Amino acid sequence: MATPLKRVRGLGAAHRGTETFWRQRMTAIANIPLVIFLILSIVSHIGAPYDEVRAYFAQPVVAVLMLALMISAAIHMRIGLKEIIDDYVQGEGARVIAILLVTFFAAGVGLASVVAILKIGLGS
Amino acid sequence: MVQFTLPKNSKVKKGKAWNPPAQGAPAARYREYRVYRFDPDAGDNPRLDTYWVDMEDCGPMVLDALIWIKNNVDPTLTFRRSCREGVCGSCSMNIAGTNTLACTMHADDARGAIAVYPLPHLPVIKDLVPDMTGFYAQLRAIEPWLKTDSPTPQKEWRQSKEDRDKLDGLYECILCACCSTACPSYWWNGDRYLGPAILLQADRWIEDSRDERTGERLDELDDPFRLYRCHTILNCTKACPKGLNPAAAIASLKRKLVERGE
Repeated sequence: MATPLKRVRGLGAAHRGTETFWRQRMTAIANIPLVIFLILSIVSHIGAPYDEVRAYFAQPVVAVLMLALMISAAIHMRIGLKEIIDDYVQGEGARVIAILLVTFFAAGVGLASVVAILKIGLGS
Repeated sequence: MVQFTLPKNSKVKKGKAWNPPAQGAPAARYREYRVYRFDPDAGDNPRLDTYWVDMEDCGPMVLDALIWIKNNVDPTLTFRRSCREGVCGSCSMNIAGTNTLACTMHADDARGAIAVYPLPHLPVIKDLVPDMTGFYAQLRAIEPWLKTDSPTPQKEWRQSKEDRDKLDGLYECILCACCSTACPSYWWNGDRYLGPAILLQADRWIEDSRDERTGERLDELDDPFRLYRCHTILNCTKACPKGLNPAAAIASLKRKLVERGE
């Protein structure tokens, strides 16, 4: 029985969203050179022995760039997956569960990548 | 999940062929129209009726053909129309797969039989008449009028020529809803996403040099659903029968919000 205006106004504006929008653009821009660097790193080591590849990724500059890529990509992925959920998943319960799952997934992938790079970089 | 298929009671059935031309009639003279019909009182599914319009007796636009059908074949065919010159926005519908105005769409611009449906993803009241209640409520929600706090001047709120120019491409919108109902984001989240037409209107008041509530207006748009469901799909700009660019207006809103907060 709510009026159309009441329904449209709903719970009001969240007064947020711009930060997420901007963060997704920033991580997108950061990902371009970082992914190119990753591809070049892999291509230039095709067929190289394990120790050489490991030594390459242990270099501080390479490790920093790889860390930057994994963190940036994980954030970008979390935002992108949430966008898809917001677009397509309806019903508050299903939305909350889906958001939890993609957040844990993105955090898990990001953290595992960070640990792997640190292990290589710190030589342990 | 989003509903990608039509619910059972909305599936379009084969309809009636109203006035097939007589055998041997010159084929070029008759233009075939397949028109979506829905009668809320009958309780039946919608159907696609076929009419043949005598082009020697009918004007060139799709709206002319619909009026011809209503006058000559089937007076129950229901659609909105008023100005017949692309100014009122009443006769917006989906013609040959595109949301546009029946009055400015030349029948010769479509090939073969011309399919005519109501605007997509709005509840259908009857035949080609969709329920625009939610759309108008969304327009009301962005408060599309001049809001000022300074004392009202004796004569008028003055605006420079340059500032007035900024409203070009915004003020011409006739609120036909062709853009909003062409937008997948609006299809899926039309209850919370304002859609291109309303966001263009919002930008029209935010761009207006005389309006003094720019910040409040931006506050009301800063929302993951109201504004940020726009993914720059650009169906809106492609659909606009007035040649406006709602996507650019939305981009301008996002730019202002980033400029303000980031």
